[in-house]
Amino acid sequence: MIELLEPFVLQETALDVGEFKLVPALTVAAMLALFLGVGYFFRVAAVDDLWVAGRSIGAVENGMAIGANWMSAASYLGVASIIALSGYFGLAYVVGWTTGYFILLIFLAAQFRRFGKYTAPDFVGDRFYSDWARGIAAFTTLAIAFTYAIGQASGMGLMAQYIFGISYEMGVIVLMGVTIGYVALSGMLGTTKNMAIQYVILIIAFTIGLYAVGWSQGWSTVLPYFEFGSEVAAAAEIEAQFVEPFADGSYYAWIALAFSLIVGTCGLPHVLVRFYTVENERTARWSTVWGLFFICLLYWGTATYAAWGGLLYDSEVTGGGGFADMLPIEADALVVLTAQLAELPTWLVGLVAAGAVAAALATTAGLFISASSAAAHDIYTNLYKENATQREQMLVGRVTILGIGILVTLIGLNPPALIGELVAMSFAIAGTVFFPVFFLGLWWENTTKEGALAGMLTGILLSFGAILNDTAIPMYTGVEDAVIPALATWLPGTSSALVGVPVVFGVIIVVSIVTDNPPQHVKRLVRQCHSPEPMSQTESAEDAANGGAPADD
Amino acid sequence: MADDNTQSREDARTDGGVTTDSYLDKEINIFKPATPFMRDHLRVIWLSFAAWVVVVFGPTTAVLIESLWLETSVMTETTILGGFPLHFFLAAIVTPLGALVLSVGYAMQRDRLDTRYGISHEDGGAGGTDPDADTDADSDSDTVAADGGAK
Repeated sequence: MIELLEPFVLQETALDVGEFKLVPALTVAAMLALFLGVGYFFRVAAVDDLWVAGRSIGAVENGMAIGANWMSAASYLGVASIIALSGYFGLAYVVGWTTGYFILLIFLAAQFRRFGKYTAPDFVGDRFYSDWARGIAAFTTLAIAFTYAIGQASGMGLMAQYIFGISYEMGVIVLMGVTIGYVALSGMLGTTKNMAIQYVILIIAFTIGLYAVGWSQGWSTVLPYFEFGSEVAAAAEIEAQFVEPFADGSYYAWIALAFSLIVGTCGLPHVLVRFYTVENERTARWSTVWGLFFICLLYWGTATYAAWGGLLYDSEVTGGGGFADMLPIEADALVVLTAQLAELPTWLVGLVAAGAVAAALATTAGLFISASSAAAHDIYTNLYKENATQREQMLVGRVTILGIGILVTLIGLNPPALIGELVAMSFAIAGTVFFPVFFLGLWWENTTKEGALAGMLTGILLSFGAILNDTAIPMYTGVEDAVIPALATWLPGTSSALVGVPVVFGVIIVVSIVTDNPPQHVKRLVRQCHSPEPMSQTESAEDAANGGAPADD
Repeated sequence: MADDNTQSREDARTDGGVTTDSYLDKEINIFKPATPFMRDHLRVIWLSFAAWVVVVFGPTTAVLIESLWLETSVMTETTILGGFPLHFFLAAIVTPLGALVLSVGYAMQRDRLDTRYGISHEDGGAGGTDPDADTDADSDSDTVAADGGAK
């Protein structure tokens, strides 16, 4: 049944948002206190600790951190939402957001570890021996963190509505405020420890909710992931598009989306930093495997939630009127809504909601760290003030976190798309701008500075242009359609990488061929990233390839 | 050449039988592996990559092929495990699982490659800032110089 609404709730929603719920609120409060406590206990003062945690993290712990860093409100809430609304098309999100880790593993993870610097812009700046390249990479890092975090703010607002009974807007402001304070206080060592804890909390909350719904409705027993077949069939009876392959998006749209999410996985700065924090390259590889396993544990459940949530919405909310017309804010809360509609006890529904808060918070923390290091380390120190003290860098980093946090909060008050779609846009940017320079930078030593610059600028043009075309400009001009509808079909803001990546690869290769080869020390750097020789924990490829006694050429 | 240098290192990390070649002098190009290690590594990479492409894009492409040319609907009409249409189950559960299995396979294969080339990362991890790290850095630099000289 649709709940009666309190006056301050703006939109009608099936989610029970009317009242303050004590036990769920205490759960969230305890969780936040735990995070802040751990962050305080492992607090840091040195730059090396702030950004790469002293390069000391092991495989399973880093795998969990990868999982928590990775699984934001978009995974926790957004994927089930899109599957419920778009059926088989939504499964492109499941495929794209899991299988990309394999590409990262075989082509990039260990090489990044051997490269051994601090940030994504560091890699680009050093590999392409150019401060301009570093600056463009830092700008892109900030743009990605910003777009990505808007989706998280949206998820936090929805969860705060349920838990605290406050309005969506208040929820965004309060929980984003907590996130900003938390990141500024703790830094990366605290966050890495926290991320393992956050992973455990979010996976337990998500999974307990899943099992409890399955048991209470008599739908599943021990492995719900294999047991929701009859509910998928039932959901397909109600809404045929749920399983119809190309009802909500063509074959092209499906492939373009999956591809964009895959290359986006390989181009995300805050994912890359996770490989800089581990002991050695073997740990980098195995932590990727562990990370993928921990991620799959959640993703296998997303379609389950979508089918079950759809059925419950149909029977409890619309009384047989289907579920494809649910509001965006209901869809984005579907995981929690499913638990509520299955009439699970409030504390349990609250736990599921708290898990979503943990997911949003963990990812936002990782994003803000990468944004702050891009601003402090890559822009301020490397481009503006060479001899900046650590104290200055920390200050710039924290001001950046504050600035981005406020901007994200403002946009998050009225988000332009579903959580999953917002995050997909940041993946399209990462995939189009960063993946080609990472890949070619590591696998083709003759990739030049000019090639990388031309490629990144092309990538920015394509990916930002696509988002402006079908989301940003329509949103702020109040027009429904994309500015150029034909362009939106072939170059959607969420999936621009299928066209963008080959184009950017082409630009980089052609420009690299016609420009002068990179200097010898850069080639040695690339070779060092692939060499089978083990490296010590704190050594970077630069030290190993060119440091110490200079080679005789 | 570099082989001598590698084997003369006093720590037990590279315990003989290794042919790492003068890797700092060999071009890195994904299509032109220049050392035996790169060749072996890239073989593993390309084989598992091909398997991954089938796992990830295969099911949806099969649906398309069936609907366009075959006039069959095995992927969408077949139901398994109590009602899943085959394509739905493949994309929702099997594809992520497949990527996970391939990842484990790759990481194990890569470990095997490490063993074959006598590479050990184990004591490298415990190093930290102890003097051992310096020793490593030095011997690597020596390798660089020697390789350069032997060109």
